[in-house]
Amino acid sequence: MRHIWAAGLALALLASTATAPQAASPPNMLVIGTDLSAVPSLDPAAINARTVSEVVSNLYDNLVQIAPNDMQTIRPMLAESWTVSPDKRTITFTMRKGAVFASGNPITAEDAAWSIRRVIKMAQVGSTDVALWGYTPENVDKFIRATDERTLVVELPEPVATDLVIYSLAGSSLGIIDSKVALKNEKNGDLARDWLKGNAAPSGPFSLIQWRPNDILITESRANYWAGAPAMKRVIMRHVPESGSLRLQLMAGDIDVAQYVGAGDLEALAKEKVVIDQVPGFGFYYIALNTKDPDLAKPLVRRAFQHVLDWKALAQTSMRFAGYPWQSIIPKGMVGAPANPLPGYEYDPALAKKLLAEAGYPNGLKKKLFPSGPALLQNTEALQASAKLAGIELELVPGEHTPDFRARNFEVLMGNSGARLPDPFGTAVQYAYNPDNRDAAKLGAYYLWRVAQEAPELTKMVDQSKAETDPAKRKALFEDMDKRYREMDPGLIVLFQRTDPYVIRANVKGYFGHQTWSTRWASVTKE
Amino acid sequence: MSAASRPSQAPADEAGAEDHSERLAVLGRVAGRILSIVLTLLGLLLLTFTMGRLLPADPVLAITGAEVNKATYDRVYQELGLDRPVWEQFLTYLGKVLRGDLGVSATTGHSVLTDLAHVFPATLELAMVAVVTGVLIGVPLGIVAAVNRGKPIDHVARIIGLAGHSVPIFWLGLMALLLFYAKLHWVDASGRLSVFYEGMMEPVTGLLLLDTAMARDWDMFRDVVSHIALPGLLLGYYSVAYISRMTRSFVLEQLNQEYVVAARAKGLSTFQIVWRHVFKNIRVQLLTIVALTLGGLLDGAVLIETVFGWPGLGQYLTRGLTMNDMNVVMGAVLLTGTLFVTINLITDRLYKVLDARTR
Repeated sequence: MRHIWAAGLALALLASTATAPQAASPPNMLVIGTDLSAVPSLDPAAINARTVSEVVSNLYDNLVQIAPNDMQTIRPMLAESWTVSPDKRTITFTMRKGAVFASGNPITAEDAAWSIRRVIKMAQVGSTDVALWGYTPENVDKFIRATDERTLVVELPEPVATDLVIYSLAGSSLGIIDSKVALKNEKNGDLARDWLKGNAAPSGPFSLIQWRPNDILITESRANYWAGAPAMKRVIMRHVPESGSLRLQLMAGDIDVAQYVGAGDLEALAKEKVVIDQVPGFGFYYIALNTKDPDLAKPLVRRAFQHVLDWKALAQTSMRFAGYPWQSIIPKGMVGAPANPLPGYEYDPALAKKLLAEAGYPNGLKKKLFPSGPALLQNTEALQASAKLAGIELELVPGEHTPDFRARNFEVLMGNSGARLPDPFGTAVQYAYNPDNRDAAKLGAYYLWRVAQEAPELTKMVDQSKAETDPAKRKALFEDMDKRYREMDPGLIVLFQRTDPYVIRANVKGYFGHQTWSTRWASVTKE
Repeated sequence: MSAASRPSQAPADEAGAEDHSERLAVLGRVAGRILSIVLTLLGLLLLTFTMGRLLPADPVLAITGAEVNKATYDRVYQELGLDRPVWEQFLTYLGKVLRGDLGVSATTGHSVLTDLAHVFPATLELAMVAVVTGVLIGVPLGIVAAVNRGKPIDHVARIIGLAGHSVPIFWLGLMALLLFYAKLHWVDASGRLSVFYEGMMEPVTGLLLLDTAMARDWDMFRDVVSHIALPGLLLGYYSVAYISRMTRSFVLEQLNQEYVVAARAKGLSTFQIVWRHVFKNIRVQLLTIVALTLGGLLDGAVLIETVFGWPGLGQYLTRGLTMNDMNVVMGAVLLTGTLFVTINLITDRLYKVLDARTR
């Protein structure tokens, strides 16, 4: 027993000698508190989520970039300039002179061609946007090629607005990789897939120092970066899964930027001297109604659902930092987006009741309600409560229901979406496109297919918008699309546009959350 | 061999045969034990695998995200082997396990074995600090409560113990952070090490207290202490209730025994009776309690790990479950199962050391 007491004394002594923790992160170090739990790969070709997009955007530069405060202007990055052929089927990029990779290898057009072709050939999630333009693993070598060290030729397999193509090349999955370093680590022709999961061959301003999933990611600035070494010598992402702890660490200065802060903590932080940057995302919060259900197939029933959610109350509570009221499929500020943000669906249980009676349901309706995931639970509870007043009884089934949504195994569901393409085409193709409504088609990437709603006219218009280059015609096309979408009593009732809140300490300057999730750290300074 | 020599050799033969049969019996017991361990682990894996397949979640979407197109979805589906019959998937998995391959995690991209080698030492270190704390506080508290049964000190001990067990540890963790980290600045808040020290030392055992001490890097050692102190002590406090209540009942049971009455009659003080006699008699029971506590903690304490951003087994397993990352779930369950079996074996051995009757 004496030994136990001695051990106890030793532990107490140990604790008393522990150093008082550092008060704040050093001036040349940026510490980001975030969620690193679902980052299976750092390979640009294999990613499409928010946190990892931010990491990859700082390890790899793209040919072009879009500034966070001006989504419409495409700016040069590793390509100094580009020209479009008169027939609008070929884009020719001239690579930046003197730019080198972290390894010291020069960044050439061949590296750019290899990186883009690799994304298409691997056909992983990173290819989602760029594959829309008709590239396939079989044809990409023919269409994307380097003609000399500084000239990259990108031909289009089918007519597509060239701006759309260039926008997609600014996406985080299309970062330019040091092909020589990557190929040295290739195994069995895997295009270095295995190696790039946890390593990097960077062209961007930061190099990867350490990466432990669910724990920490450390990057260091590159002295030989073409635009000069960034002010932050190190940028560290730390996994802080608990929002309350994140808030405390932010206030103590151990963390400079906090991501994925819970609604309650955001409320509290709003009263402190920090910046809450509510970055609008290209996605929406919606109610999805499966039109395979005979009741929900009736347009009047779907119209009734437009009036059953008290979204104004939600906008003040759970959605205060997660989104703003928006009822169009064209994100705010984009070509063809409505000037008036709230054109229609008011909460009106009496009207909903009347519509249901007209549809043949004078005694109301009973349906199962799914949240797409646990994060949407609060919203579904609100819908359940307000729908009851309209005579709709919703049986709430908590859980992760995205697979059910994709497989059309649901009745009513609430969820949210995201897209990375900074063009209305990105959301239009999700919400208004259904080229094949058969179950066997399994087009789970298109939301309109998920709710089993046929819309041949809209689908045609979305295809048109992909190829249309005239700005005025494009604007008219998206406006028309939005109007027709609303008129068909859609199975997807859009109620909010998403925002991604970033909480930033007041002394941190130049950190701007990017709408396409390509948030870059090179401009960050600390006071 | 002559007939006359036979009788004199008989006892030696008998002894040899006895030896042989004893050896066989030992071998049989060992083989039986090994077989039971293998069957236990196999059953555990089969159960976990079946339950994983019954879950409604989609492992493909855990990798690809919900917006994936059909071609990519189908490719990942095939890569994961989900197009094969379930029994075939299980047998393939078993074959790999026998070759020491626990598969690759869909959510971290690393091999599960590599991940476990990283998260398990974190959990082990935390559990050790917690168990030591639990024993150091819980055992004396239980003894003091038993000796002072019904007196105010007994009630105080009960309140101290039960408060640790009944207040949600998640809330307790946040409150402790608020006080000791945010207000008093005594400890660090998140992870195992400050970001400034990251990458400065190659881990040897993965137990950072041990690694930094072996490297004689006392600054880093203090930093590790500053990180582990709060989650370790809180987790220890959480187990105090269990350990102290059980200790109390063991001691009370002994205090009613005749030998205690005899000892009192001999004029021994309560202190002497408890430390010299009672404690010796409850050692085996206490060992069971400590082993159970340790086993429970080695599963990973997911709530504490979440609050303190501790990269341990609990978080890893929970994340694997929520993301339907079956390789992670199976690997973690296998590790946990093996740990329980090992702790049981060690405890059994210790019983024999501490209590001659069980030999």
